[in-house]
Amino acid sequence: MLRIREDRQAVSRRIEIGRVAVGALLSILAVAYWSIQIVRGEYYFSLSENNRIRAVKITAPRGYVLDRNGAPLVENEPAYTLHLYRREAKDLDASVEFIVTLLGLNRDQVRSRVERGRRDPEFVPIPIAENLGIEEVAAVEARAVEHPEFAITVSQRRLYKHGGSAAHALGYLSEATPEQIKSAGNVYGVGDWIGQKGIESAYERLLAGASGERRVIVDSHGREVAEEARLEATPGQNLFLTLDSKLQGVAEDFFRERVGSAVALDPRTGEILALVSSPSYDPNWFTRRVTAAEWNGLLENPDRPLQNRAIQNMYSPGSVIKPFLAYGALARGLVDPDWKVFCPGHAVFYGREFHCHKKGGHGLVNLRDAIKESCDVYFYNLGQKLGVDRINEILSGFGFGSPTGVDLSFEKSGLVPSEEWARTRRGARWYPSETISVSIGQGPLLVTSMQVARALSALVEGGRLPTPHLFYSSQDPKTGSQLRYKAEYRQGPTLEPEKLAIVKNAMWAVVNEPGGTAYGSRVASVEIGGKTGTAQVIGHDSTVRAGADKSKLETHAWFAGFGPIQDPSMVVVVFVENGGHGNLAAAPLAKALFEARFGVAPAMPPAPAVQAEAPARGGLARASRREAP
Amino acid sequence: MISGTLPGGRRLDLVVLGCALALAALGVLFVASATTGTRFDGLAGRQAVWIAVGLGAMIAAILFDYRMLLKFSFAIYCASLLPLVYLLAFGQRIANVRSWIRFGHFQFQPAELAKIATALLVAYLFENEDDARLHASTILKLGAIVGLPVLLVFLQPDVGLALTFLPLVFVGLYFGGLPARGWIAIVIVVALLAGGGWFLLKDYQKARIGTFLNPDSDVLGSGYQVRQSKIAVGSGGFSGKGFRSGTQSQLRFLPVQHTDFILAVIAEEWGFLGVILVLALFAGLFLRALKLAQTARDRGGVFLVLGLTGMMFFSVVVNASMMIGLAPTTGIPLPFVSYGGSSVATTFLAIGLILGVQFRRFANA
Repeated sequence: MLRIREDRQAVSRRIEIGRVAVGALLSILAVAYWSIQIVRGEYYFSLSENNRIRAVKITAPRGYVLDRNGAPLVENEPAYTLHLYRREAKDLDASVEFIVTLLGLNRDQVRSRVERGRRDPEFVPIPIAENLGIEEVAAVEARAVEHPEFAITVSQRRLYKHGGSAAHALGYLSEATPEQIKSAGNVYGVGDWIGQKGIESAYERLLAGASGERRVIVDSHGREVAEEARLEATPGQNLFLTLDSKLQGVAEDFFRERVGSAVALDPRTGEILALVSSPSYDPNWFTRRVTAAEWNGLLENPDRPLQNRAIQNMYSPGSVIKPFLAYGALARGLVDPDWKVFCPGHAVFYGREFHCHKKGGHGLVNLRDAIKESCDVYFYNLGQKLGVDRINEILSGFGFGSPTGVDLSFEKSGLVPSEEWARTRRGARWYPSETISVSIGQGPLLVTSMQVARALSALVEGGRLPTPHLFYSSQDPKTGSQLRYKAEYRQGPTLEPEKLAIVKNAMWAVVNEPGGTAYGSRVASVEIGGKTGTAQVIGHDSTVRAGADKSKLETHAWFAGFGPIQDPSMVVVVFVENGGHGNLAAAPLAKALFEARFGVAPAMPPAPAVQAEAPARGGLARASRREAP
Repeated sequence: MISGTLPGGRRLDLVVLGCALALAALGVLFVASATTGTRFDGLAGRQAVWIAVGLGAMIAAILFDYRMLLKFSFAIYCASLLPLVYLLAFGQRIANVRSWIRFGHFQFQPAELAKIATALLVAYLFENEDDARLHASTILKLGAIVGLPVLLVFLQPDVGLALTFLPLVFVGLYFGGLPARGWIAIVIVVALLAGGGWFLLKDYQKARIGTFLNPDSDVLGSGYQVRQSKIAVGSGGFSGKGFRSGTQSQLRFLPVQHTDFILAVIAEEWGFLGVILVLALFAGLFLRALKLAQTARDRGGVFLVLGLTGMMFFSVVVNASMMIGLAPTTGIPLPFVSYGGSSVATTFLAIGLILGVQFRRFANA
């Protein structure tokens, strides 16, 4: 007990020392603050008044987008914004009145902007009006002396040079959403522009570059006085696309009054030479800040201009599926080229009557005739021999039912039915009569135009599925160094050349022999092959959507073609929504595209190799190969 | 409560409570000044919520017998270390440090609670060590008890927070009665460890220490914070530029001004008078708390109050020195005042424990 009390005395004594130490240390701190705040206060006050360093972000110029031949598609242009500096204004109301009358602005809008800006610290300039014209800029600058509170700032705005042209390939910019800012790890701030959809989104990192920073000295009003340090921004990469503006233009002219999509691919590499989705929209709208009315108009348009029909909309392929099924049946030995079917114009399967598109019938047809004349009855029989699961196997091999992997977002995968799909996903068993529909590209089978283009590429290239892409190369604007896209492939089934030749020959006949469904669209300069398709619009949705508008019940028109027949360098898929028949509504665009590519007149004999390789500018030689004089 | 009297007629110490509340109120005021109109707008309200949470914890700590806490301090200590281990294994990084656990909108630093738990276990250690002289085994135990959480927090890596545990070692050694030659030995060991520890520091930590030793070496980098903070403090002068009128803080020159650099905002806007007010409130709190330690019923209570007070005092001295370049920027907040929910809430919990010791100072309580 005694010992404990002695101990407590020792602790108590140490605590007394501790109290002195606490008092002493805090006093020392007080003295230190005294020396800084009182003794050297004047010095630090002058520093705080005159030497204010502020970090200002330098936005990197976004990379340009050009077509494969270097024709500019997307550039930047200066945009002028009017700012109000509150500290400079003697009378805010008078300033508002002045600018409203000078530029004819909406008084209430300007007032509410000033009101909102008041919540920020005084040095933060308030944006009053964006996208000023040159005359307006001049008018404001001319009165800069009397009204120093107004200042014009210049920034870069995205300019899509051809408006709605190739809009679905290019995408657009809009202000980064809070989620995008978060997921990008705060590289972007509020009000920064970010690519949405298209290549603007897919290659955002390349195009955006890296922002720089300026350390500037500002005065006590927050205005810049001098620059202290500077870290330059790294400009974004220029992007060359695989698109060929000439072909793109031809396709867009065709779709001016039509709804649908067109894809032109190089089957050897997957380069997208043209990509059209109609109706289109003008990406420039978004950079000029869309009004609510414009945005709603875009969203409420029943034809959905924002959708990329080539990859986002799924349709019945109709007869364009026939060559793929024909090859599959040949390869599996289920039919031989001479196997014949008699077509009286209709046939009965499983107690249901199925019609051929030709009322009187095609008579006795073999495989070549059936493709050339698009005989439905032949393919009903062929489909019955195959069965839905083998159809699934064949079409999946050609890439149907899975996304093509194109460098655009929101791609749909389509649907290739099977018995298992019916059982597990649909929840209703597969009816054999459905197989009959599927064998002419109807029924639950759904594809995108891009899938058809890739599948046809595989068919003409011996089974190799190229990944469609828009990225041709990127170029560093400073060093000029280029980065080329390396073609990617998915290996489909290895195709047997002899059996493939039968199908290709039949597709040649479709265009080049009298009686072929696309004989009207043959091209003089180059021999092409192809297949027409006419897909029925069935299903509850479309009937309801059509309502009073009977044109919405019109069939969809397809054409899928390739050329030149011997060494194909272009695959074209045209889809016209409610266009009518494939031969009349879709094939003419394919013809126009092949003519644009290979010329209208018959081809000259192949030029000597030296001449053909001459215009090799940045590896762009391919596009100009075999061009007619 | 309001009258300072609890059932049974025993009085709570109003000096400690009053100083703590005044400091917290100052904190809310200046967090509001530093954040209004910025992307941190609204944090003052959150701070007030956390103060309320802290007051709840404080009242609970007063009502709960600290002797029970001491008895179970080992279990509490172990439980408080579990989240730290969890963080090292699975924690997500905020500002490059894995020291936060998220609860919906709020984040919590479990290391703050670990500080209290460690103080409890240290107090328990000395409760049973009723000899006037310090045993070597006690020193080893003390080192292990404090060393473990320090290591866990150091690895997060939050060096500032790890440092705030160290006063517990000092409190134990000094008030436990370490003889002079012991101190000499410790100074030598620490000097050697510091030399070796340099190689364990991350680059940015080395940069900060380098900047501290030579602040003008890197005006735009690490030196920027110290320089801007000094300008803010110095330009405040005697009576300051006025509330919400500090150009350094309102023009956003100060880094993390609502958390670690809140004192610089006070110094700029309320001047030397504001600084003196803050230092006086802390002086009142600490001197009074040490007085309470002397009157505690048992050794455990004495060391609990000493440990908690020591940690708070350390943070105040380091943070206030940081503002004017007398200490490296280590990310140690100013207790009660800096924005930070876990810090504020657990500081009030510590106040509750101190008041609980005072409240039960009579042997028959």
